[in-house]
Amino acid sequence: MVERALEGVRVVEFTDETGAYCGKLLADLGADVIKVEPPGGGRQRNAGPFVTGHDGEPNASLAFWVHNTSKKSVVLDIEDASDRAKAKQLALSADIVIEDNPVGFLAARGLGYAQLHAEKPSLVYTSVTGFGQTGPHANWAYSDIVGQATSGIMTLAGEMADPPNMIYGHQADISASIHAAQGSMIALLHAEETGQGQQVDVSAQEACSMSQETAMQSWDFQKKNRVRTGELGAIPLRLPGAGTLKAKDGYVLLFIIAPAGEDLPALVDWMREEGMQEDLDEDPYREIIAAMNMGFLTQLMGDPSRAAQIIGHLPHINDVIGRFFESKTAKEAYEEGQHRRLLIGIVSKPADLAENTQLRSRNWYITFPNPVGDSPVEFPGPPYRLSESPATVQRPPRLGEHTAAVLSAL
Amino acid sequence: MTKRPLEGLRVGDFSWFGAGPIAGNTLAQFGAEVIRVESEAKLDGLRRGHPFAMNPDGTFKEGYNVSGYFNNYNCGKLSLQLNLNVEKGQEIAYRLIEKCDIFLTNFTPRVVEKWNLTYKQLSRVNPRLIAAYAPMQGMEGPHRDFLGFGAVLTPVTGLSEMSGFPNRPPFGIGTNYPDYVVNPGHTVTAMLAALRYRKRTGKGQCIELPQLESVVNTLGTAVPERLVNGTNPTRNGNRSISAAPHGAFRCADDPESVGSNDRWVVIACRTDAEWQAATKALGHADAASDPKFATFAARKANEDDLEALIGNWTAGLKAEDAAATLQTAGVPAGVVQNAQDMLDRDPHMKARGYYRYVNHPEAGREAHDGPAAVLSETPGDVPGPSPLLGEHTMDVCERIIGLNMDEIADLLADGVLV
Repeated sequence: MVERALEGVRVVEFTDETGAYCGKLLADLGADVIKVEPPGGGRQRNAGPFVTGHDGEPNASLAFWVHNTSKKSVVLDIEDASDRAKAKQLALSADIVIEDNPVGFLAARGLGYAQLHAEKPSLVYTSVTGFGQTGPHANWAYSDIVGQATSGIMTLAGEMADPPNMIYGHQADISASIHAAQGSMIALLHAEETGQGQQVDVSAQEACSMSQETAMQSWDFQKKNRVRTGELGAIPLRLPGAGTLKAKDGYVLLFIIAPAGEDLPALVDWMREEGMQEDLDEDPYREIIAAMNMGFLTQLMGDPSRAAQIIGHLPHINDVIGRFFESKTAKEAYEEGQHRRLLIGIVSKPADLAENTQLRSRNWYITFPNPVGDSPVEFPGPPYRLSESPATVQRPPRLGEHTAAVLSAL
Repeated sequence: MTKRPLEGLRVGDFSWFGAGPIAGNTLAQFGAEVIRVESEAKLDGLRRGHPFAMNPDGTFKEGYNVSGYFNNYNCGKLSLQLNLNVEKGQEIAYRLIEKCDIFLTNFTPRVVEKWNLTYKQLSRVNPRLIAAYAPMQGMEGPHRDFLGFGAVLTPVTGLSEMSGFPNRPPFGIGTNYPDYVVNPGHTVTAMLAALRYRKRTGKGQCIELPQLESVVNTLGTAVPERLVNGTNPTRNGNRSISAAPHGAFRCADDPESVGSNDRWVVIACRTDAEWQAATKALGHADAASDPKFATFAARKANEDDLEALIGNWTAGLKAEDAAATLQTAGVPAGVVQNAQDMLDRDPHMKARGYYRYVNHPEAGREAHDGPAAVLSETPGDVPGPSPLLGEHTMDVCERIIGLNMDEIADLLADGVLV
């Protein structure tokens, strides 16, 4: 029997959208994670999308499922004195408490860090909120898009003509939860060694801000704000072998002119094999294609008259390449292109991911019983593979499923 | 000074670019001794990547040590220059790994094999080793050798399809987003779990983080909707299925902001109460009772009109004022901040002191991301500047690996320590 990495660790969480993924990571690694939920469930339980045919049911929210696998659920109304006492007793049975409530909310109910730490000095108490526990905005209302905006990543995504783009998937919540998982684990290791617990304070704004990439240093060094550059990127010119192209049933991303893998002539070889190279074997196209890589582009930038000549020919080359990819499915273009060592990515739709050759061949998707149905469902597996103490993904709990069992064992 | 919590932990950081080095960076921030193994023979591209520090005359500084992109992800590490393309370099790598608790790489399986750094080989050298591999697709499987980096990972993992406005092609999210938090953060989480396991059992292990799996795991409900419901959802801009309004709204130009014609406030109303509060705060309380917008269902049905209306309200407001006014009324709102806001204008970021400034011997004073998990008793920090290429080669060879000066001289002469 393989021991789990976090076996013997009890986590009690008072989380909804922001901190739930932290608890999931710990639960999948083997911690006993007990989620304390209000009667009726929180925001996530009541947000869609739901399992088809189960609209509005708190046990059927896929938004809840994805961030709450492998946990137990205990329903307690912490506005009620007797339930509040049980919640406190439960929290004091934990090695780690995770919470994502407005600052001061749990403290006002006797469940804050200071109160619990006073009674259990070894406790790790992790707060995952929009803006952290201190500072002038600590009490600001938060929702994922607010974290993405205020962290500096939204301004980098999208077209200048459009509003800045949010990244799908509650990424500010995810970033906060991932940092919270790291911080909680560091604090847990310390507590297990020394008996000293502590508070772990994570701000979603800060957690997400490292994803500004080079924008932070551009301001620091150069006092320039990096802006979003949309479809064409930093060089506002459509280049052969680069960019997002239409396929028969979707899109692919080409980055053939990057230094990795084969260069553009290998793409034309492929097109020729299928009789679709048109006139790209003729000059001036042949010559441009043979030279087209990042080094060539850098040279061109220093030679405007040569650049002007070449730029005039690019739309035709792009059109011919475009026709080739439109004749293929995105998956054909991706897999065959990659086998030819051409840097091509499929723009995966959810259906493509569900069928992805690599994920399927490595049995990444797992199966668990459907909390609201009879037949098992498939679900994404864990983010990592540990050879000795693997993470496993078990079904999310039904609301209050473990209330009686957990409370009676206290 | 308090002891930092990971002091005593030694990490052999054989990674490059973003996702690997950031994992090592986090460990260094919490006190681990992180040895970045690198070589001019296969130089980390970030050492040559913009943005570079500047000279007082406005020109860029030059060389391998002045990239802010690189420096931000390698704070306080030691740099050992070691050529892994030669057998002697691999022998030295083994002698280093013998002395490490953690090994980290994000090189492709092909390079890992060429350098003889597979888990099978390393665990023979050091059975207690926790060895983390973070390739794009996995160490095994039919796509393990597919080419890629962040720019390609973003479309392949579904982030491009699911993000942005539906009238635009799925061109991505502007950055190599998964490299910065999702992949390194998952890697460190797994390492810490493996450390706990080792403390209890004495056993090391292999961690594999296929970046594809790591990112798809965070892709919201998109894939479960396919697996459970059989649907194939796509991007829907800034809108939400459980909040309206939910988006970014243009505000007035701000002459103090560089790029001043690009000021926006985001607003998210998850309940009718938040919507009513928002209308009142922005001075248009009458809109709350307009039947077109009174209920969540009505706001979703008239979302184009709703967004145009709010855009009219915010157009004349300073973004910071709009956000503060809405926040005073309890409505989730915030400025779409740029880097200038993050570093110099946001009073909250300043008060919390997230960014740390260190003096780098070549780049000068530079900003670093601080630890995003703030621990009250054993806090992390930015432990120092990032290393110059090969700055600690002698120190690591002598003090950690235990080579004597003659051996080091031979290795230098043989082109191993380059």
